[in-house]
Amino acid sequence: MRKALIPILSALVALTALAVATGTAGGSTAAAKSPTVTDQTLITCGRTRSLGIAAPVTGAAASIGSQQARWARFWVTRYNASHRKTKFRAVVGDTQLPDTAQAIQVAERLASNSKVLGMIGPAGSQEVQVSTAPLRRGGIAFVSGSATRTSLTTDGTRRGYFFRVVPNDDQQGPRVANYIRRTLNHTRVAVVDAQNSYSTGLSDTVQGILRNAGVTVQRESVNEADTTDFSSLAARIPANTQSVYIPWQLAPKAQLFGQALRSQGKRAILFGSDGLFDPDSFKIPGSYVSFFPINLTSPVIRAYQRGPGGGKSELFGLPSFQAADVVGRAIDKACANGTATRAEVRRFVNQTNIPKAQSFIGFRIKFVQRRRGVLGPGDMTTPSNFGIYRISNRGVYVRVS
Amino acid sequence: MSFPLAFNAELFIQLLVSGITLGSLYGLIALGYSMVYGILKLLNFAHGDVYMIGAFVGYGTLQLLGGPLSPNIAIAPLIVLMFLAAMLASGLLGVVIERFAYRPLRDAPRIAPLISALGVSFFLQNSALLLFGAQFRSYDSFVLGSKNPEFFEPGPLTDPLFVVKNVNIQLVQVIVVATTASLMVALTLLVAKARIGKAMRATSYDREAAAMMGIDTDRVIATTFFIGSLLAGAAGVMFGLLFSQVFHFMGFLAGLKGFTAAVVGGIGSIPGAMLGGLLVGLAESFAAGYLGGRWSDLTVFGILIFVLLVRPTGLLGTRAIQKV
Amino acid sequence: MEAGGDRQGIGVDDWVASHEHRLAERAGFAGLARKIDDRVPAWARLTLFAAFAASLPLWMGRGDLFAYGIFTLIYILLGLGLNVVVGYAGLLDLGYVALFGFGAYFYALLSSEQYGIHWPSAISIPVVVASTALLGLILGIPSRRLLGDYLAIVTLFFGQAFVVFVNAANPTVAGVGLTGGPNGIADIDPNDIFGYELISRTQQYYFILVVVLLVLTGLHFLSESRTGRAWRALREDPLAAEAMSMPVNRLKLKAFAFGAGIAGLAGCIFAAVLTAVTSGNFGLPILITIYAVVILGGIGSLTGVVIGAIVINVSFQFLAPENPQQNARVLFYLVIVLLLAFGVRPWWRLGVVLGGVAALGFAAHAVAGAISSSWTAGPVVEGGRLAGVISDWVIIPAGHERFANAAYITLVVLILTLTRVHGWWRTGLLVPTLYLTAVVWETSFVEQPAVARWILFGALLVFLMTVRPQGLLGTPRVEIV
Repeated sequence: MRKALIPILSALVALTALAVATGTAGGSTAAAKSPTVTDQTLITCGRTRSLGIAAPVTGAAASIGSQQARWARFWVTRYNASHRKTKFRAVVGDTQLPDTAQAIQVAERLASNSKVLGMIGPAGSQEVQVSTAPLRRGGIAFVSGSATRTSLTTDGTRRGYFFRVVPNDDQQGPRVANYIRRTLNHTRVAVVDAQNSYSTGLSDTVQGILRNAGVTVQRESVNEADTTDFSSLAARIPANTQSVYIPWQLAPKAQLFGQALRSQGKRAILFGSDGLFDPDSFKIPGSYVSFFPINLTSPVIRAYQRGPGGGKSELFGLPSFQAADVVGRAIDKACANGTATRAEVRRFVNQTNIPKAQSFIGFRIKFVQRRRGVLGPGDMTTPSNFGIYRISNRGVYVRVS
Repeated sequence: MSFPLAFNAELFIQLLVSGITLGSLYGLIALGYSMVYGILKLLNFAHGDVYMIGAFVGYGTLQLLGGPLSPNIAIAPLIVLMFLAAMLASGLLGVVIERFAYRPLRDAPRIAPLISALGVSFFLQNSALLLFGAQFRSYDSFVLGSKNPEFFEPGPLTDPLFVVKNVNIQLVQVIVVATTASLMVALTLLVAKARIGKAMRATSYDREAAAMMGIDTDRVIATTFFIGSLLAGAAGVMFGLLFSQVFHFMGFLAGLKGFTAAVVGGIGSIPGAMLGGLLVGLAESFAAGYLGGRWSDLTVFGILIFVLLVRPTGLLGTRAIQKV
Repeated sequence: MEAGGDRQGIGVDDWVASHEHRLAERAGFAGLARKIDDRVPAWARLTLFAAFAASLPLWMGRGDLFAYGIFTLIYILLGLGLNVVVGYAGLLDLGYVALFGFGAYFYALLSSEQYGIHWPSAISIPVVVASTALLGLILGIPSRRLLGDYLAIVTLFFGQAFVVFVNAANPTVAGVGLTGGPNGIADIDPNDIFGYELISRTQQYYFILVVVLLVLTGLHFLSESRTGRAWRALREDPLAAEAMSMPVNRLKLKAFAFGAGIAGLAGCIFAAVLTAVTSGNFGLPILITIYAVVILGGIGSLTGVVIGAIVINVSFQFLAPENPQQNARVLFYLVIVLLLAFGVRPWWRLGVVLGGVAALGFAAHAVAGAISSSWTAGPVVEGGRLAGVISDWVIIPAGHERFANAAYITLVVLILTLTRVHGWWRTGLLVPTLYLTAVVWETSFVEQPAVARWILFGALLVFLMTVRPQGLLGTPRVEIV
């Protein structure tokens, strides 16, 4: 019997620990059944406020998701360094794009976490899709720096809850298409989508506009995440194609594609979307990239390079920094009297009005309230003065439009 | 489904060259799978991650010697050193993995070492993520050794060595194919003629009998892992030289392709692994080139399934005789 | 560590020869599990499980119920289905996740705005289950010609082909892309019981629990039936089974079909719970998790699959980065102390080790602090109540990024060495190893919990397999056909 005692005891201890741990794991303070947090629940702000961050930190999209998480946490670090009376704490959920099952679990958990007042993310449009129901039920505002599918705002189902600090597909697309057509005067263009949600939306829009204007458009498709040998794709682009529009997210892959084109002696120039704006990885001279009209040498970017960036600027995550700023400001306003509800925070997010001088992405941050044209509630009001950059001979990004 | 490109020699040769290069890479990885399977009947899922570590070790060596934009030594010894470092590190890693994750499971049901291999794979992948971060690391092989790397001038690796009908064949591609071919020849000779090779063959036929004949099976198995992992490390550096970008996830993807190549070629057979690799590489290249991204992957699967249905034990696999 | 008593000599009775093996089976924690499995009758186990599971919504918050409750049940369901194919019939099916995906997508097509079809669950679920079973049957047809690893590879292709088809190919049918491409299918109707829609997580949880219990009961009876016994014979020795004139091919196809049907059922539930499906939900990582569930628990054992799913999902979710780190830390240290309590005997030796670790820690901390204050200036991440003790005991540098990496690599090497040495060497080596573990935890793992949990998960798999290869409750020898 004594021999059996120890295994039995330890099994009991393990089970109890498990039960206690899972019971308190969600961060809720009550170990017994905790009341569901809704948007009317009054939360004591206290000195440290919690900011939820949902990003794909591991998995196939880790190279870009981790950038977003780092930039968002950088905002928290800067805030904490410059404020004495109040602090923020980042609660990071790993959504493991492209597996949306993780995204919904993160959403459920962050929504149930009674300390979290507002959230940044999720990163992917399909993640926003699955996270909407739990986040709405929890009443929590979520601001994304990278979910660009137009219907997310224009279908009106997320009004007041979902916001984004990045222009949607139907804003970015025409900007690029018009530049290619009118400024570059190209008549033979290829469009390559990356077989993901972000990419196909932009590709369809640009392709449609160009075709309507009489430009010859060859549409191709490649699995950006899984491919490293782009020579076959490059071989499919005829030598007389003038430019190739690649709305991808992995700058190193775009670099590889460009190299493959060069190795085959093809002269087509690459035109990237905001996902490819990465001076450290995508450096093919003569290429164009569209991105926010920012100052590349701003103090924030330099500070990031010196700090978490480890020498790199990782600008894919910059919109997440802005998103953190939007949510953080709203939480501060709501917590001015010591307590806040999530509904209050949502209201303040909706009423955000950050002038261009204080924004980090070169736009004034103000959110659309009612649908107009391609903008839906939650989109930024600033029209698509997205910048167009050209990569110089030395790999430097220069703004040309 | 777009099929707009009529047959023209230039496209065909371009795809052929890419296919052979890619195929050599897959073949090298497949060799490791096949060798280990032949001896232990084990599918070593961690093999792809050993390849990934080899690629990172090559990158580390490159960085130690000045970095791709300003290397301290000439390019030829640089590449040789990278290969040697990666092969040695991968080989040792393979031996360590075998010793700790597989040897205790020698007599366990076959699926147990499979899960252990998966555990090792998760562990290696995420250790790389922890140590090196999620960002892609670049060999910058396009401009490696070039006089003006900041101006994106191609280095000697990617400068065309010959030109066939307008198709550039680069030095790096020739290096990859030549190295693979010589490694394969060396391996075949080793297995056929050397004592350790004979010991490996004997152990793969019947481990108990080999042990009874006085062969130290533990050492033979460790050597097999060493050689297989060494080849994977070489493949890792080749990948870096061909495609520049190394990242923690690359082992998973390449491991799948290598595993496919090994099985299609006939698992347990060394020439089969090479042939399987070439088949997969060529199928991928031609399908992507002629059919475009939407249907190319499915076509490749179709081709491979067809091959397996026609030859159920792979191209060069031996029909297993079941003993009652 | 042999798992089979098959080294009998000539003239020795089988039973006597396997005596050692039986003793080993009954020892330790796994032995306890086995004893429970043998002595407690099936219906009692089912009731215990049902009672425990039913009580979950009473004390778990919504977020936790979703992650720990609903998802564990879904994994149980998937594991049960895979168990039929792999555990009962011994067929290595690497395309199983595609059947899961097919079930989810088909349900989505029948219950969403994609084509405007909104069938009630009472009709759509059986239709989906039946069609997935049929697809599984078709998938099983190559098993006539292909054996073992070749079958594995063909099924793997099917699995990959499904993902590519759904994501990239997305053919246009009746004017709409069939599978929605990379966007997938969204706005899927929730499951409903004859019109009563299951919207809240608690409702969904109970529904899934009932389904799981029904499937468990069904599989139990199936396993005791003629087909079940035939499967077991097929698994143990396919050649002998064929010689005994069992319809081997038909049995394999039946296994594929049953497993597929269960996968289809899981797919319907999954699609309804998530309300949107994309190709990313059905990739290789999920397949690997389902396999881990089945193998950890023990192939062929229903109780084992349930336990495997619970262990894997709970441990994985518990280490999720959005959970407060202090809980994970407490559990981490607790587990280490428990492992030590198990492994290090007698008690006084354990005391020496723990004392040595504490002493080493404080000493090292003091030395590092003396060299330069930057070596101990790093903050304790989410320390909670232990923050004070930890910051005085563990070296957490500020800056010195290479230190964390070096500590990690040293720790791995030390742990591997530990398994090779014995006696006092082992006890001695334990001290720096334990201290380094704390250092690595505080400097690397709490900084990157998302990555840390995968590392711990991988290590756990290796450890569990080397310690107990047949899983918790599996039968010792299961050969893959």
